[in-house]
Amino acid sequence: MSETGGKIRRTIFDAIVFAYLVIFVLVAIMRPDSDELIEQMGFNVALFFGLAFMGGVISLAVSAKGIKTLGEVIYAPAHRRTVSDPDTPLWQTFWGVQLILALIATFVLGWVLTEVNPLLLIEAEPISQAMRLFAEVADPDWSILPKAIMKIIESIFIAFMATAFAVPIAFVLSFISARNIMGKSPIGMVIYTLLRVSFNLSRSIEPILWAIIFTIWVSFGPFAGMLALMVHSIASLAKQYSEIVEGVSDGPIEGIEATGAGRLQTVWFAIVPQIVLPYISYTIYRWDTNLRMATILGFVGGGGIGTMLMEYQGQSRWPQVGTIIVVMAFVVWVMDAFSSHVRAAIK
Amino acid sequence: MSQPILSIRNLVKTYPNGVRALKGVSFDVKRGEFLVIIGLSGSGKSTLLRCLNRLHEPTSGEIIFRSESDGMRKEFDIAKAEGKQIYEVRRKIGMIFQHFNIIERHSVINNVLYGSLGRTSAWRSILGLYSQEDRRKAKDYLDLVGIGDKAHYRASQLSGGQQQRVAIARALMQSPEILLADEPVASLDPATCHTVMDYLRKVNTELGLTVICNLHFLSLVRQYGTRVIALKAGELVYEGHPNDIDEAWFARIYGEGAREVHVN
Ligand SMILES: Nc1ncnc2c1ncn2[C@@H]1O[C@H](COP(=O)(O)OP(=O)(O)OP(=O)(O)O)[C@@H](O)[C@H]1O
Ligand SMILES: [Mg+2]
Repeated sequence: MSETGGKIRRTIFDAIVFAYLVIFVLVAIMRPDSDELIEQMGFNVALFFGLAFMGGVISLAVSAKGIKTLGEVIYAPAHRRTVSDPDTPLWQTFWGVQLILALIATFVLGWVLTEVNPLLLIEAEPISQAMRLFAEVADPDWSILPKAIMKIIESIFIAFMATAFAVPIAFVLSFISARNIMGKSPIGMVIYTLLRVSFNLSRSIEPILWAIIFTIWVSFGPFAGMLALMVHSIASLAKQYSEIVEGVSDGPIEGIEATGAGRLQTVWFAIVPQIVLPYISYTIYRWDTNLRMATILGFVGGGGIGTMLMEYQGQSRWPQVGTIIVVMAFVVWVMDAFSSHVRAAIK
Repeated sequence: MSQPILSIRNLVKTYPNGVRALKGVSFDVKRGEFLVIIGLSGSGKSTLLRCLNRLHEPTSGEIIFRSESDGMRKEFDIAKAEGKQIYEVRRKIGMIFQHFNIIERHSVINNVLYGSLGRTSAWRSILGLYSQEDRRKAKDYLDLVGIGDKAHYRASQLSGGQQQRVAIARALMQSPEILLADEPVASLDPATCHTVMDYLRKVNTELGLTVICNLHFLSLVRQYGTRVIALKAGELVYEGHPNDIDEAWFARIYGEGAREVHVN
């Protein structure tokens, strides 16, 4: 991160925190309802930017005096990140006060916005209803077990195929999206940046949304679910893989290059041996994660056991839902145990 | 007297961050000699070696290489080599490193075979289809450096000194004309250090390879070097016989107040 880049981010962060806190106080005093807030949107936005501007100015003035702001703490470049004085308690530092106020404001706001109401939890009538439901779920209908097993197998294979298709693609992408390989030429940097941005974009779309897209494209069923997980996996794996590639040591690369080896040979003999184990580890973890997601993709038509769960839940057939929950929990638990065992073994 | 194998003229290397690591260095390397490069940390020794085999790009200057391998005489400027020729340069100039730079997860014999990558096509090497002759050679070179019995060990199971010998065997596998050694014994204990240096001398005298070696200890320089050059802040400040480095020269190369340490 460049020096000025860090300074800009720091100031923007402090500005937003300041505007946020002032607006929080204003809202607490005037208690507008959300319709009013929406009607006055133009004014509110202007108010926000005005306050943010003030906050930015304050941040610049404060840091000019050598006082550390919260933005500075978060966005300072690594080489200036000094250890804070351990003798000064948090609430006596400027950034500490900023942090504490922001956390309190956020918690209070969160309480209001999520309509937290503990009293609801102890009302008698709903409790007995919930207990009845629990009782039914806790008494699974084992007659649908064979069907549930068939469907969970479908989920397992959706997850497996998504991972299997994603791995080779992500493997190739990981090299052309690693800075230490691509950073040597301007064209390389462009490809690197484009790939990284597109990975981050496609990763920020959850598989369930991809599944909706693919059910429209290839219609409902396991294929759509598989494609959804595959797209998400390619982006996730390529990003994780390329970070591993960026962490390889240069020694073996020099060693192989010095023999007159070509680029492909250098990648294969110097880089690949350093990355296989972490790759396997991430891949198994991805399969594990994909399986969890595959179990619920059925809710949007992506196949697997989620389809069954949605049907029974829609008909309020709780004993059947109970069976499905047991099957899902068991398989996810086994897969999780297996994946962490393998990952620990190859450390 | 045959012509020098390398003639380096006005070699300059400026790193992208502006550091001028070499500021116009000129010297010759004689065929078959054991040339030692000394100098303080940061004086540009590693940079110099890496320019010679184009692991780094020289900024300007000439590196005339008079190659006599493959039954052919050929004279060209390494500094101006491009594309395929860079790989050819690297193939004809072996290199070993302070931290060995072998592939620790792979077997010793495979590591030695990687010395033949420069003359093996990518797909053959990836499928492990090395020629019978290369396999035999690899075994011979392992015997030469005294670890023939370790061929099927994983390289990481070997001691530091043994790993450096694997690296020497890998370099020999290239059938190079020159062997570069960047502080080959700096991370080894004194006893092992002599074993490795003895193998370098063996390669130099018995196989007739020209050796260019960065060293930190003057006692080693006197014992193994046939000639020595000294770098200081990217410039050549001394060229001569190791035994001619007296205290006055020592002070000029390493700075006043430096004291010599010995390894035995
Ligand atoms: N990749 C690089 N990028 C930028 N500067 C570098 C790079 N490699 C080396 N330098 C700088 O070039 C100068 C010479 O470094 P070099 O590694 O050649 O010295 P050296 O004589 O081998 O030192 P040592 O004995 O510590 O190995 C140093 O100032 C170093 O910081
Ligand atoms: Mg060095």
